[in-house]
Amino acid sequence: MTIRQQSLPGSLWLVTVNGRLDQNATPALEETLNELLSAGHDRLIVDLSEATYINSGGLRCLVAAWRKARQQGGDVYLCGLRARVNEVFSMVGFDKVFSIYPTQREAAAAWREAA
Amino acid sequence: MGAQKSLSVPGRYDQIRRLCAFVGEGARQAGFDDDTIFHVELACDEACTNIIEHTYEGEGIGEIEVSWKLSADKFTVIIRDHGPRFDPSDVPDPPVPPDLDEVEELRVGGLGIFFMRRLMDDVTFSYLHGKGNILTMVKHRSQNEDS
Repeated sequence: MTIRQQSLPGSLWLVTVNGRLDQNATPALEETLNELLSAGHDRLIVDLSEATYINSGGLRCLVAAWRKARQQGGDVYLCGLRARVNEVFSMVGFDKVFSIYPTQREAAAAWREAA
Repeated sequence: MGAQKSLSVPGRYDQIRRLCAFVGEGARQAGFDDDTIFHVELACDEACTNIIEHTYEGEGIGEIEVSWKLSADKFTVIIRDHGPRFDPSDVPDPPVPPDLDEVEELRVGGLGIFFMRRLMDDVTFSYLHGKGNILTMVKHRSQNEDS
């Protein structure tokens, strides 16, 4: 799995996950999200369009970041969920917890509207 | 008909993908479609993750043995560990949809067992005194799924 981070206009930060988001890979994503949040970057978009797999550990990592961001007054928007990843979110109702958008562009537009 | 295979690996997270692929290959031989193979692999992932995290309480503590068995009407996955007794009745299912006030507290164990139960047709836990836990997960085959 590889993780990329990028700042976007409007104090947004984009985190892109590539590959399998499983127990083997979750610590790297957890570290990236924690570093951003600890630095006060709490307006986040996590792009999962290149994530081919997620398990309960990956879900827990995203939920922990979502919770922390909201405590700081921010949020974690998700985008680009593939069908299988989306199925896993739906199975446990996490599709109702997160704001989920089809693309990065739509997630960024939603952030601008929320501002 | 009647195929059976097993694989034993050290209980480490970097071995889980290998175990999932091994079980996925059995599910493919059972004639399941790609979605069902994905479900079987995810259930295997959750089971093995739980063993490392909750039964062994760490990586490299003990072995995980996975075997699968194919019969006319079902595909059976058996996962064994050599840890202390694991009682799934201690682990309640998470609420779905989740309680937003409690969502941070979700435990991997609870979610993992929830996934196993949702993704497979039968899930049973047993304990062999002094030898470890045996998790049996079954996926039924329909008549159009030939071996």
